[in-house]
Amino acid sequence: MTVTADDFPAPAHTIEGYARVVGIEGAVAWLEPEQTASCGGCAAAASCGSPGLGSLAGRIKARRFPLDNRDALIVGERVVVGVTERALLKAALTAFALPMLAAFTAGGLAQWADGSNPVTMGAMIAGLFAGFLASRRMAHRLAARGELAPRFLRRAQQDETCR
Amino acid sequence: MKETVMMMIGAALVNNVILARFLGLCSFMGVTTRIDTAAGMGLATTFVITVSSMADWAVQRYLLEAYGLGFLRTVTFILVIASAVQFTEMVIRKVSPSLFQMLGIYLPLITTNCAVLGVALLLAENHMSFIAATLFAFASAAGYSLVMVIFAGLRERLALASVPRLFAGPPIAFIVAGLLAMAFMGFSGISTV
Repeated sequence: MTVTADDFPAPAHTIEGYARVVGIEGAVAWLEPEQTASCGGCAAAASCGSPGLGSLAGRIKARRFPLDNRDALIVGERVVVGVTERALLKAALTAFALPMLAAFTAGGLAQWADGSNPVTMGAMIAGLFAGFLASRRMAHRLAARGELAPRFLRRAQQDETCR
Repeated sequence: MKETVMMMIGAALVNNVILARFLGLCSFMGVTTRIDTAAGMGLATTFVITVSSMADWAVQRYLLEAYGLGFLRTVTFILVIASAVQFTEMVIRKVSPSLFQMLGIYLPLITTNCAVLGVALLLAENHMSFIAATLFAFASAAGYSLVMVIFAGLRERLALASVPRLFAGPPIAFIVAGLLAMAFMGFSGISTV
Protein backbone atom coordinates (compact mmCIF):
# COMPACT_ATOMS: atom_id res chain seq x y z
CA MET A 1 0.00 0.00 0.00
CA THR A 2 1.35 3.41 -0.89
CA VAL A 3 0.37 6.64 0.77
CA THR A 4 0.39 10.15 -0.59
CA ALA A 5 0.14 13.64 0.81
CA ASP A 6 -3.61 13.66 0.34
CA ASP A 7 -4.05 10.84 2.83
CA PHE A 8 -2.63 12.94 5.69
CA PRO A 9 -3.76 16.15 7.25
CA ALA A 10 -0.93 18.70 7.02
CA PRO A 11 1.16 18.11 10.17
CA ALA A 12 2.59 20.91 12.25
CA HIS A 13 6.08 19.36 12.47
CA THR A 14 7.52 17.35 9.66
CA ILE A 15 11.00 15.96 9.31
CA GLU A 16 12.13 16.62 5.78
CA GLY A 17 14.56 14.64 3.68
CA TYR A 18 15.71 14.55 0.07
CA ALA A 19 15.08 11.65 -2.26
CA ARG A 20 15.58 10.93 -5.93
CA VAL A 21 13.08 9.20 -8.18
CA VAL A 22 14.76 6.03 -9.45
CA GLY A 23 11.90 4.30 -11.16
CA ILE A 24 8.28 4.53 -12.24
CA GLU A 25 6.01 1.48 -12.17
CA GLY A 26 2.56 2.41 -13.32
CA ALA A 27 1.12 4.83 -10.79
CA VAL A 28 3.93 4.23 -8.31
CA ALA A 29 7.22 6.12 -8.14
CA TRP A 30 10.20 4.45 -6.44
CA LEU A 31 12.42 6.80 -4.52
CA GLU A 32 15.85 6.43 -2.93
CA PRO A 33 16.89 8.63 -0.03
CA GLU A 34 19.64 10.90 -1.22
CA GLN A 35 23.21 9.78 -0.63
CA THR A 36 24.59 12.33 1.78
CA ALA A 37 28.12 13.10 2.90
CA SER A 38 27.28 11.69 6.30
CA CYS A 39 24.60 9.56 7.96
CA GLY A 40 21.83 12.09 7.63
CA GLY A 41 23.67 15.18 6.62
CA CYS A 42 23.91 16.39 10.19
CA ALA A 43 25.73 19.48 11.43
CA ALA A 44 28.70 17.42 12.59
CA ALA A 45 29.27 15.73 9.24
CA ALA A 46 32.81 17.04 8.91
CA SER A 47 33.92 15.54 12.21
CA CYS A 48 31.76 12.43 12.16
CA GLY A 49 33.36 9.00 11.92
CA SER A 50 30.62 7.28 9.98
CA PRO A 51 30.32 8.86 6.54
CA GLY A 52 31.66 5.73 4.84
CA LEU A 53 29.06 3.54 6.48
CA GLY A 54 26.24 5.97 5.86
CA SER A 55 26.91 6.37 2.18
CA LEU A 56 27.21 2.75 1.12
CA ALA A 57 25.23 2.35 -2.07
CA GLY A 58 23.70 -0.93 -0.90
CA ARG A 59 22.44 0.69 2.29
CA ILE A 60 20.79 3.50 0.34
CA LYS A 61 19.25 1.02 -2.11
CA ALA A 62 17.84 -1.00 0.77
CA ARG A 63 15.93 2.06 1.94
CA ARG A 64 14.15 2.52 -1.41
CA PHE A 65 10.46 3.28 -0.91
CA PRO A 66 7.30 3.63 -3.05
CA LEU A 67 5.09 6.70 -3.40
CA ASP A 68 1.86 7.21 -5.33
CA ASN A 69 2.85 9.18 -8.39
CA ARG A 70 -0.04 11.65 -8.42
CA ASP A 71 2.35 14.55 -9.01
CA ALA A 72 3.73 13.15 -12.29
CA LEU A 73 7.26 12.69 -11.02
CA ILE A 74 9.85 11.59 -13.54
CA VAL A 75 12.96 9.43 -13.10
CA GLY A 76 15.95 11.44 -11.88
CA GLU A 77 13.89 14.15 -10.26
CA ARG A 78 14.84 15.32 -6.75
CA VAL A 79 12.00 15.70 -4.30
CA VAL A 80 11.51 16.64 -0.68
CA VAL A 81 9.73 13.97 1.35
CA GLY A 82 8.72 14.08 4.97
CA VAL A 83 7.53 12.08 7.93
CA THR A 84 5.83 13.46 11.00
CA GLU A 85 7.83 13.83 14.21
CA ARG A 86 5.34 11.60 15.99
CA ALA A 87 5.75 8.87 13.36
CA LEU A 88 9.51 8.78 13.93
CA LEU A 89 9.06 8.44 17.67
CA LYS A 90 6.39 5.76 17.27
CA ALA A 91 8.66 3.84 14.89
CA ALA A 92 11.61 4.05 17.30
CA LEU A 93 9.47 2.91 20.22
CA THR A 94 8.08 0.01 18.19
CA ALA A 95 11.44 -1.14 16.85
CA PHE A 96 13.58 -0.71 19.96
CA ALA A 97 11.56 -0.18 23.14
CA LEU A 98 9.15 -3.09 22.70
CA PRO A 99 11.83 -5.82 22.27
CA MET A 100 13.84 -4.34 25.16
CA LEU A 101 10.80 -4.33 27.42
CA ALA A 102 10.09 -7.97 26.56
CA ALA A 103 13.73 -8.94 27.15
CA PHE A 104 13.86 -7.26 30.56
CA THR A 105 10.53 -8.77 31.61
CA ALA A 106 11.71 -12.26 30.67
CA GLY A 107 15.14 -11.70 32.24
CA GLY A 108 13.63 -10.34 35.46
CA LEU A 109 11.30 -13.32 35.77
CA ALA A 110 14.13 -15.78 35.10
CA GLN A 111 16.39 -14.08 37.63
CA TRP A 112 13.63 -14.17 40.22
CA ALA A 113 12.78 -17.83 39.51
CA ASP A 114 16.24 -19.31 39.00
CA GLY A 115 18.91 -16.69 39.62
CA SER A 116 21.67 -18.23 37.50
CA ASN A 117 23.43 -16.29 34.75
CA PRO A 118 22.93 -18.78 31.86
CA VAL A 119 19.18 -19.13 32.50
CA THR A 120 18.72 -15.34 32.76
CA MET A 121 20.71 -14.89 29.55
CA GLY A 122 18.61 -17.49 27.71
CA ALA A 123 15.39 -15.94 28.97
CA MET A 124 16.47 -12.45 27.89
CA ILE A 125 17.38 -13.65 24.40
CA ALA A 126 14.03 -15.45 24.13
CA GLY A 127 12.28 -12.32 25.39
CA LEU A 128 14.12 -10.21 22.84
CA PHE A 129 12.90 -12.36 19.97
CA ALA A 130 9.36 -12.40 21.38
CA GLY A 131 9.59 -8.60 21.52
CA PHE A 132 10.66 -8.51 17.88
CA LEU A 133 7.58 -10.54 16.96
CA ALA A 134 5.39 -8.13 18.92
CA SER A 135 7.05 -5.16 17.22
CA ARG A 136 6.44 -6.81 13.84
CA ARG A 137 2.70 -6.91 14.58
CA MET A 138 2.73 -3.35 15.82
CA ALA A 139 4.68 -2.18 12.75
CA HIS A 140 2.18 -3.89 10.43
CA ARG A 141 -0.62 -2.07 12.24
CA LEU A 142 1.16 1.29 11.93
CA ALA A 143 2.01 0.67 8.28
CA ALA A 144 -1.60 -0.25 7.50
CA ARG A 145 -2.66 3.10 8.92
CA GLY A 146 -0.05 4.78 6.72
CA GLU A 147 1.81 6.20 9.71
CA LEU A 148 5.25 4.96 8.66
CA ALA A 149 5.21 6.05 5.03
CA PRO A 150 7.11 9.15 3.94
CA ARG A 151 4.93 11.60 2.01
CA PHE A 152 5.72 13.84 -0.92
CA LEU A 153 6.07 17.48 0.11
CA ARG A 154 7.43 19.31 -2.93
CA ARG A 155 9.92 19.15 -5.77
CA ALA A 156 13.39 20.15 -4.59
CA GLN A 157 14.87 23.36 -5.94
CA GLN A 158 18.10 23.11 -7.87
CA ASP A 159 21.04 22.96 -5.39
CA GLU A 160 18.62 22.81 -2.46
CA THR A 161 20.28 20.98 0.44
CA CYS A 162 19.44 20.19 4.02
CA ARG A 163 22.08 22.63 5.32
CA MET B 1 17.41 -4.32 45.15
CA LYS B 2 18.47 -0.98 46.65
CA GLU B 3 22.04 -1.53 45.39
CA THR B 4 20.74 -2.22 41.88
CA VAL B 5 18.64 0.95 41.86
CA MET B 6 21.57 3.03 43.15
CA MET B 7 23.85 1.44 40.57
CA MET B 8 21.39 2.37 37.81
CA ILE B 9 20.99 5.95 39.06
CA GLY B 10 24.76 6.22 39.26
CA ALA B 11 25.19 4.97 35.70
CA ALA B 12 22.47 7.21 34.27
CA LEU B 13 22.95 10.47 36.15
CA VAL B 14 26.12 10.63 38.27
CA ASN B 15 28.54 9.02 35.84
CA ASN B 16 26.61 10.03 32.75
CA VAL B 17 28.13 8.61 29.58
CA ILE B 18 28.18 11.97 27.80
CA LEU B 19 28.57 14.59 30.51
CA ALA B 20 30.84 12.75 32.96
CA ARG B 21 32.69 10.22 30.81
CA PHE B 22 32.68 12.32 27.61
CA LEU B 23 31.75 9.42 25.33
CA GLY B 24 29.48 9.62 22.28
CA LEU B 25 30.13 13.32 21.72
CA CYS B 26 29.83 13.09 17.92
CA SER B 27 26.17 12.15 18.05
CA PHE B 28 25.66 14.48 21.01
CA MET B 29 26.55 17.48 18.84
CA GLY B 30 25.39 16.08 15.51
CA VAL B 31 21.92 14.60 16.12
CA THR B 32 20.60 17.01 18.74
CA THR B 33 19.24 19.75 16.52
CA ARG B 34 15.69 18.38 16.97
CA ILE B 35 14.09 16.55 19.88
CA ASP B 36 12.52 13.81 17.77
CA THR B 37 15.72 12.83 16.00
CA ALA B 38 17.57 12.92 19.34
CA ALA B 39 14.93 10.65 20.88
CA GLY B 40 15.12 8.27 17.90
CA MET B 41 18.89 8.12 18.08
CA GLY B 42 18.70 7.71 21.87
CA LEU B 43 16.34 4.76 21.63
CA ALA B 44 18.40 3.10 18.90
CA THR B 45 21.60 3.57 20.91
CA THR B 46 19.94 2.31 24.09
CA PHE B 47 18.91 -0.83 22.25
CA VAL B 48 22.34 -1.43 20.73
CA ILE B 49 24.21 -0.72 24.00
CA THR B 50 21.95 -3.15 25.90
CA VAL B 51 22.13 -5.93 23.31
CA SER B 52 25.88 -5.58 22.69
CA SER B 53 26.54 -5.53 26.44
CA MET B 54 24.67 -8.81 26.80
CA ALA B 55 26.84 -10.30 24.06
CA ASP B 56 30.03 -8.71 25.44
CA TRP B 57 29.31 -10.10 28.90
CA ALA B 58 29.01 -13.63 27.49
CA VAL B 59 32.15 -13.26 25.37
CA GLN B 60 34.12 -11.86 28.32
CA ARG B 61 32.96 -14.56 30.76
CA TYR B 62 32.98 -17.67 28.59
CA LEU B 63 35.74 -16.87 26.08
CA LEU B 64 38.19 -14.15 27.09
CA GLU B 65 38.40 -14.92 30.83
CA ALA B 66 38.10 -18.67 30.41
CA TYR B 67 40.97 -18.91 27.93
CA GLY B 68 43.15 -16.07 29.26
CA LEU B 69 42.57 -13.89 26.21
CA GLY B 70 41.98 -10.64 28.11
CA PHE B 71 44.46 -8.78 25.90
CA LEU B 72 42.06 -9.23 22.96
CA ARG B 73 39.21 -7.55 24.83
CA THR B 74 39.02 -4.24 22.95
CA VAL B 75 39.28 -5.71 19.47
CA THR B 76 36.81 -8.47 20.34
CA PHE B 77 34.30 -6.01 21.74
CA ILE B 78 34.55 -3.85 18.61
CA LEU B 79 33.74 -6.94 16.55
CA VAL B 80 30.83 -7.85 18.84
CA ILE B 81 29.42 -4.30 18.66
CA ALA B 82 29.66 -4.18 14.87
CA SER B 83 27.95 -7.57 14.73
CA ALA B 84 25.23 -6.40 17.15
CA VAL B 85 24.53 -3.36 14.96
CA GLN B 86 24.41 -5.52 11.82
CA PHE B 87 22.16 -8.00 13.61
CA THR B 88 19.81 -5.23 14.74
CA GLU B 89 19.69 -3.79 11.24
CA MET B 90 19.01 -7.20 9.72
CA VAL B 91 16.27 -8.05 12.21
CA ILE B 92 14.51 -4.69 11.82
CA ARG B 93 14.69 -5.03 8.06
CA LYS B 94 13.06 -8.46 8.28
CA VAL B 95 10.57 -7.48 10.96
CA SER B 96 9.36 -4.36 9.20
CA PRO B 97 10.76 -2.80 6.03
CA SER B 98 8.81 0.39 6.86
CA LEU B 99 10.57 0.72 10.20
CA PHE B 100 13.89 0.03 8.51
CA GLN B 101 13.27 2.79 5.97
CA MET B 102 12.59 5.22 8.77
CA LEU B 103 15.20 4.18 11.33
CA GLY B 104 17.95 2.64 9.22
CA ILE B 105 19.71 5.98 9.16
CA TYR B 106 20.61 5.80 12.86
CA LEU B 107 22.16 2.37 12.91
CA PRO B 108 25.39 3.05 10.97
CA LEU B 109 26.03 6.01 13.27
CA ILE B 110 25.93 3.76 16.31
CA THR B 111 28.67 1.46 15.00
CA THR B 112 31.20 4.21 15.52
CA ASN B 113 29.67 5.55 18.74
CA CYS B 114 32.39 5.14 21.34
CA ALA B 115 29.79 5.16 24.14
CA VAL B 116 28.89 1.59 23.16
CA LEU B 117 32.48 0.39 23.48
CA GLY B 118 33.02 2.50 26.62
CA VAL B 119 30.09 0.89 28.44
CA ALA B 120 31.22 -2.61 27.38
CA LEU B 121 34.76 -1.98 28.70
CA LEU B 122 33.40 -0.59 31.98
CA LEU B 123 31.33 -3.73 32.42
CA ALA B 124 34.31 -5.97 31.79
CA GLU B 125 36.26 -4.21 34.54
CA ASN B 126 33.44 -4.35 37.09
CA HIS B 127 32.85 -8.15 37.07
CA MET B 128 29.04 -7.96 37.49
CA SER B 129 26.45 -10.71 37.16
CA PHE B 130 24.63 -10.94 33.82
CA ILE B 131 21.46 -9.18 34.94
CA ALA B 132 23.40 -6.46 36.81
CA ALA B 133 25.64 -5.87 33.78
CA THR B 134 22.64 -5.61 31.47
CA LEU B 135 20.85 -3.21 33.81
CA PHE B 136 24.02 -1.12 34.14
CA ALA B 137 24.31 -0.93 30.36
CA PHE B 138 20.64 -0.06 30.00
CA ALA B 139 20.88 2.67 32.66
CA SER B 140 24.01 4.14 31.05
CA ALA B 141 22.22 4.21 27.70
CA ALA B 142 19.09 5.73 29.29
CA GLY B 143 21.31 8.48 30.73
CA TYR B 144 22.78 9.02 27.25
CA SER B 145 19.27 9.31 25.76
CA LEU B 146 18.11 11.64 28.52
CA VAL B 147 21.00 14.04 27.92
CA MET B 148 20.47 13.87 24.14
CA VAL B 149 16.80 14.84 24.50
CA ILE B 150 17.49 17.59 27.07
CA PHE B 151 20.24 19.06 24.91
CA ALA B 152 18.06 18.86 21.79
CA GLY B 153 15.30 20.73 23.64
CA LEU B 154 17.76 23.43 24.67
CA ARG B 155 19.09 23.73 21.12
CA GLU B 156 15.56 24.03 19.70
CA ARG B 157 14.97 26.95 22.04
CA LEU B 158 18.37 28.40 21.22
CA ALA B 159 17.47 28.38 17.54
CA LEU B 160 14.65 30.82 18.33
CA ALA B 161 16.69 33.00 20.70
CA SER B 162 18.65 36.03 19.59
CA VAL B 163 22.24 34.94 20.10
CA PRO B 164 25.16 37.35 19.42
CA ARG B 165 26.62 36.53 15.99
CA LEU B 166 29.96 35.59 17.51
CA PHE B 167 28.34 32.83 19.57
CA ALA B 168 25.74 31.64 17.08
CA GLY B 169 25.80 27.96 16.13
CA PRO B 170 28.33 25.54 17.66
CA PRO B 171 29.92 28.03 20.13
CA ILE B 172 26.68 28.61 22.05
CA ALA B 173 25.93 24.87 21.81
CA PHE B 174 29.27 24.09 23.48
CA ILE B 175 28.60 26.67 26.20
CA VAL B 176 25.17 25.13 26.85
CA ALA B 177 26.73 21.65 26.91
CA GLY B 178 29.19 22.89 29.55
CA LEU B 179 26.38 24.35 31.65
CA LEU B 180 24.45 21.09 31.33
CA ALA B 181 27.52 19.12 32.49
CA MET B 182 27.81 21.45 35.50
CA ALA B 183 24.12 20.94 36.27
CA PHE B 184 24.62 17.17 36.17
CA MET B 185 27.49 17.53 38.66
CA GLY B 186 24.71 18.24 41.16
CA PHE B 187 23.90 14.52 41.08
CA SER B 188 27.36 13.54 42.33
CA GLY B 189 27.20 12.13 45.83
CA ILE B 190 23.99 10.20 45.18
CA SER B 191 25.88 7.10 44.14
CA THR B 192 29.52 6.19 43.56
CA VAL B 193 29.10 3.10 41.38
